[in-house]
Amino acid sequence: MSTAMTSSALAEKTTHVRAAKPSFFGLVGGELFKIRRQWTTWIMLILFMGITFAPYLIMFLESNIKDVITAPGGDYAYSRVAAGLALVRIFGGFFILILTARTIGQEYQLGTIRIVLARGVGRVQLLLAKLTAIVLWAVVLMVIGLALNALWALLQVQIVTGSLSAITGLSSTVWHDLGIYVLTILVSMGVTILMATSITVLFRSMAGGLSASIAWFPVDNILGLILTIAFALTRNDFWKNVSAYLLGPNLNVMAGAVANIRHGAWAFGTGPLVTVDGTHTLFVSAVYAVIFAVVAIGLTWKRDVKE
Amino acid sequence: MADQVLTMPGVAATAVQTGEVALRTIHLTKQYGQRLAVNDLSLEVKQGEIFGFLGPNGAGKTTTIRMALGLISPTSGSVEILGKNVVTQRAQVLPRVGALIETPALYLYLSGRNNLRAVGSALGGVPEARIDEVLELVGLAGRQKDRVKTYSLGMKQRLGIAIALLQDPDVLILDEPTNGMDPAGIVEMRDLMHRLASEGKTVFISSHLLTEVQQICTRVAIISLGKLITESSIAELTKGQGEFRVNVEQAREALALVKAQPWGESASLDSENALITRAPENSGRALNLFLSQAGYVPETLERPVQDLEQVFLNLTNSGSGDVK
Repeated sequence: MSTAMTSSALAEKTTHVRAAKPSFFGLVGGELFKIRRQWTTWIMLILFMGITFAPYLIMFLESNIKDVITAPGGDYAYSRVAAGLALVRIFGGFFILILTARTIGQEYQLGTIRIVLARGVGRVQLLLAKLTAIVLWAVVLMVIGLALNALWALLQVQIVTGSLSAITGLSSTVWHDLGIYVLTILVSMGVTILMATSITVLFRSMAGGLSASIAWFPVDNILGLILTIAFALTRNDFWKNVSAYLLGPNLNVMAGAVANIRHGAWAFGTGPLVTVDGTHTLFVSAVYAVIFAVVAIGLTWKRDVKE
Repeated sequence: MADQVLTMPGVAATAVQTGEVALRTIHLTKQYGQRLAVNDLSLEVKQGEIFGFLGPNGAGKTTTIRMALGLISPTSGSVEILGKNVVTQRAQVLPRVGALIETPALYLYLSGRNNLRAVGSALGGVPEARIDEVLELVGLAGRQKDRVKTYSLGMKQRLGIAIALLQDPDVLILDEPTNGMDPAGIVEMRDLMHRLASEGKTVFISSHLLTEVQQICTRVAIISLGKLITESSIAELTKGQGEFRVNVEQAREALALVKAQPWGESASLDSENALITRAPENSGRALNLFLSQAGYVPETLERPVQDLEQVFLNLTNSGSGDVK
């Protein structure tokens, strides 16, 4: 009896294994599994969490922090909390950029892409599964970043003023503007993921993808500097106008441009050399996103896998 | 590898060959610029067969295998596995194929077991019992929790084979499966191949180890510069070309006599002073009678069987030393 049951179970198990077909959600699960089994992921997450505390620590050293917190009009939220969110955008972007280059590049570098594809998985299907896993991590990272920022802000307000009224009394306009800031961080992360994806697919290596992706934004900012020099030398507005189409400077000012707020923390980093509005920054980011996506999918779809 | 696959006497004879084609390449061609890596290659591998795919370095073996697995698009022609086109029906057919391509590609930061989980997830996951089964089969059960970066090349090769076997495939495509294995591992691999064939699975092996191929495979194809040179059974390929090898005293005198006969003009002596000659009516018995009646009684008379390595080198004109 038991033998019969064992045989039946064995047959069922074998049938299950033999009947398997490529599964998108299975692939996403596999990618999440591989990501969480890497030390790098957890080390980066701990560093990210630690960095979210840094601006609030510095604020404690400010002599007038109590005045800033209790000032009417949400000055604390627009300056200090927004600075915390700017760090979430920058360091969250680094995290997600490294994660993307590793998740896609490692598959090429280790040659494991061939054993996955040889099981009938489509090339674009695998890329989309990886992107889904990375986006899920980006969402988790965002939630952690926001939660920690909220926690540090609440603690700071409570410690400095003895109550939370400076937070609970914020107007709906302030919350709306902070919401826009958060949305622009998500846009920034989305474009960053696509940028790192297309570069890594182009290089087909983790090292190449990682270094070129990390170099993108500094190069973008340096280009802004070069355009400034070019304008100073020629006095031709063309150079200034070109800077309005660089990705990094547009992402830097997106939050302030969309919410129409001119505050340091809302335009973190080098911006374009001409004033741009929110629609422009979103349009430029969308165009870059489409180009990155087309390059990534096109190359993945058309190129032979020789790894 | 595990004991159950070590002792399989005579399993080659029990291989299940249905006569149906498991893998077929149809005028398969791959061109890189001006270079033809694979040139109009048409092959048929029958179900239950252990098929050897041989060729010197750069002959196009790996390119062919990659096209068979849908990793490289053919310039023209097609590949069918189990009757289905691997380009248009890849999701239906490739899950039924297990493959090891060149060096084993593994997630070095994961354990052996987690490598199997990660790869298995592509097809919606594999039961833990099946993972236990394949780890046992390739002899890695004891090291399954260790990170793969601590494995030797032979162990990585075993894990690569475990990955290939994970979905209990009908067709196995193995590129240099014994690469890096010790002699015991090679013997185990040979037994495993025989066992898989006896279960009706088709095994397609590309290897440089010609002595292994000669022992394992039922048929082979030899390619050179992308073109098929021959496709034949091992027995057919290695049998002598109608000549006999005769050990006889006074071999030189016997040679002179034989060369004077119309059927013996091409006769010669080999390095061991044995007479190599055709026979009257292509019959060993007639040759024996002829020599005996002439006073040169043979001590031994046999049809020389050629070594696969020699056949390979002759067919590919390859003396480059890339075969072992």
